[in-house]
Amino acid sequence: MKQKKLHYSIVFVILLIDLTLGIGTIKSYDKTALMRPTLQHFFNGTWAEQTEKYLQEHIGFHDVLFRIKSNADLFIGEKMIQGVYVTDEMLLEKLYASDIPDIVTAAEPVNQFYEETQIPTYFILVPSASEIYKTKLPANAINAEQKNRIQQIYLETVNGVHCIDAYNILSSLKDNYIYYRTDTRWTCCGAYYVYQSAIQKMGFTPVSYQKFVISHMSTEFRGNLYEKTLYNGVRADVLDRYRNESSGQITSITAYYADGQTEDRGNRLYDTTALIGDDKYQYYLGKPCQKLIIHTNIENGKKLLLYKDSFADCVVPFLIHHYSEICIVNLEQTGEDFHHVVDTSEYTQALFLCSMKNWGNLFA
Amino acid sequence: MYLSSFTFIVVLLPIILVSYYLIPTKGKNGLLLFWSMIVYGWGNPFRLLYPAACVFFDYGIGLVLERMQNRKKISTIILAFSALIQIIAMTLIRTMVQEREGFLFPFGIAVYTLQGLGYLIGIYRRRHMASVKFLNVALYIFMFPVIYAGPLMTYLEYQEQLEKRPCNIMQLSKGLQLFIRGLAEKVILADTFGYIFRELRQAGQMSMLTAWLTTLSFSMYLYFELLGYTEMARGLGKCFGFQFPKNFSHPFFTSSITAFLQSWNVTLLLWFQTNFRYFLFRNFERKWQRYLFLILTWAFIGAWYGLKIQFIIWGIFMGILVSIEQLTGLDKNFIEENSGRKGYVFGLIYTAILQQFLFVLLFAKNLTEAGTIWKAMLSFGNGIADQTGFYFFTSYIALLLLGLYIAADLFQNITERIAVTEIGQKLFICEPLVYGLLFLFCLASMLYGERMTELWLKI
Repeated sequence: MKQKKLHYSIVFVILLIDLTLGIGTIKSYDKTALMRPTLQHFFNGTWAEQTEKYLQEHIGFHDVLFRIKSNADLFIGEKMIQGVYVTDEMLLEKLYASDIPDIVTAAEPVNQFYEETQIPTYFILVPSASEIYKTKLPANAINAEQKNRIQQIYLETVNGVHCIDAYNILSSLKDNYIYYRTDTRWTCCGAYYVYQSAIQKMGFTPVSYQKFVISHMSTEFRGNLYEKTLYNGVRADVLDRYRNESSGQITSITAYYADGQTEDRGNRLYDTTALIGDDKYQYYLGKPCQKLIIHTNIENGKKLLLYKDSFADCVVPFLIHHYSEICIVNLEQTGEDFHHVVDTSEYTQALFLCSMKNWGNLFA
Repeated sequence: MYLSSFTFIVVLLPIILVSYYLIPTKGKNGLLLFWSMIVYGWGNPFRLLYPAACVFFDYGIGLVLERMQNRKKISTIILAFSALIQIIAMTLIRTMVQEREGFLFPFGIAVYTLQGLGYLIGIYRRRHMASVKFLNVALYIFMFPVIYAGPLMTYLEYQEQLEKRPCNIMQLSKGLQLFIRGLAEKVILADTFGYIFRELRQAGQMSMLTAWLTTLSFSMYLYFELLGYTEMARGLGKCFGFQFPKNFSHPFFTSSITAFLQSWNVTLLLWFQTNFRYFLFRNFERKWQRYLFLILTWAFIGAWYGLKIQFIIWGIFMGILVSIEQLTGLDKNFIEENSGRKGYVFGLIYTAILQQFLFVLLFAKNLTEAGTIWKAMLSFGNGIADQTGFYFFTSYIALLLLGLYIAADLFQNITERIAVTEIGQKLFICEPLVYGLLFLFCLASMLYGERMTELWLKI
């Protein structure tokens, strides 16, 4: 009799867990989710994969289950969650050798661009935080070497392409808050120092640090690495805004989306609604679009063409103090044919600003 | 759909179980076939075409063989012909489809081809009658828990269970327990070892430590993957009232290669012994012929795992080693009773090293790569340890030891020993809690990381 009760309770427990998860999944059903399986998937044969992927990300109590597993892993001695090294101070993304750009081919897009357009071109490759904070990685941790790789890629560029060494600038400022603790990207502070030396090379006097009024827009920013690891042991980040009213004010912003839509964003660069949304980082440049054209009240006739990934989002507020027009092309959306998005002939300077990982993934 | 997917465990499993227990006994077999079709053809019904053709073919040929029983020559020709057709079809599908479009690949093809052949050979040898009931043949060849990785069974064992089998709460609970243990082996152990293995493979030059860690993690991965799948199949079978045989009986920690192979994928070896040997071995009396066919059998088993030259070479090596052991009597020398503890330990070490060396063949891309890995395992050319090896060694040593502990029969011994004590009896009350937690942890592991979404072995 006792045995029978035991058997009943085992079956009950297991079916209960299944049922709870199932109900949780139905409750959190998200119509807008990217992974949502559709009929189209059924016809091209990927439906089974797609439903599984969707369930993997949207299963009921996903976060609780995820934390159970990641904490168990940390407990047995792994120092990494989902390809992100966990340290006491910050989360550092692991880069594989296949993630970083190849020496021979990496400079080609920039060279090609320069040879076609003959616009003075500047090139900045930003190393990842895991390279700058190498010493903070767990013992024996494997991470792709980037310092020399950046140098080698720079050597491959043709005359006329000016390369700016972000590595040395950032590594000398290691002790400052230059990278987010929970995100792969740099902070406004890190961006400022690179801007400072880049803009000098580009022929301007940088706006000095003292002229900026810095305000904390959010102290609860948890970035993409947090999303990936859901690890609570690292402090949340601060999103800063560098304000300087004395020079360069925006007059108009127009966003062009990949599907052909345009949006007039008035003169507001920052998107304060993002601060209460899921992706707080969108505060800097608003909803990602393929092309963004910014006009300012500076009338020096200088026009900048900026090819960038999301690292450059917080550099833009600094650049508007020097140009009458900035055209920002999002490489993450255009991929390899970034050439055809803009009529390059109007512009006087071009800047390529991208992180090592994104550059490697885009131009492999 | 794979058994270790959310789609199966969270969505389908409860529905399958509830419907199975609600339907009257008469309809149970039909329902099982229906669910097998749903599970196998999930998202891609075209995948069902080939196995359906197999089932119809075997059913028909089975009836013909039964008729022709008295005319040995004709039935031999029919059997040889139908076996040839199925083997050729399987080979073609495995080589052609698998490279191009993964989702079209009718997984488990090697399993149900062997089941079908076993059925025909059984009739030919008059071990059992051809079944008039189409449903029975269909279920024997094509029942969803079994098609992934076995265990293989003869129709003789299956026949009775198909007609009459127990169906009560005890079966269901025992079955679910077994299923969860299998799931844990697959998603907690095998997936993690698979992850370590893939990470280590990305390291460029291999030091000695890395090379050994790679093969060790691979062998653990392969073992727990196959074991996990068969245990899940056995568990589900039990839920439905079936009694499937064990497929592995602790193959690591054996004292000779012969013993290792006798406990590795047991049902597959048994299939080859009963069916393949029947035709070939019977007629050969001489010793060298016996050994030649032993080697041939293992070459076939290698080819069954995957149609690559390395796999076949792996099989041939295994066959040669077993032959040598049997010729020299080594396999008996290392058993504890015969040669004492010293000989036994020596046997353990010798088997472990050889089996690790041979596992390299199962994962190397080609023979040259296998050569470099062997070289790294033997020499200090690239140093004793490097950063990669060191990182994974320190991070996963606990899990590797746990894996080895479970792979040896130590874990089973300890649970059995506790179970008979008085406290152990009382501890049984915790069972639901333990299995609930284990199940939760399995589900948590399934969320995590890039899992191996497909079986490494395309059987």
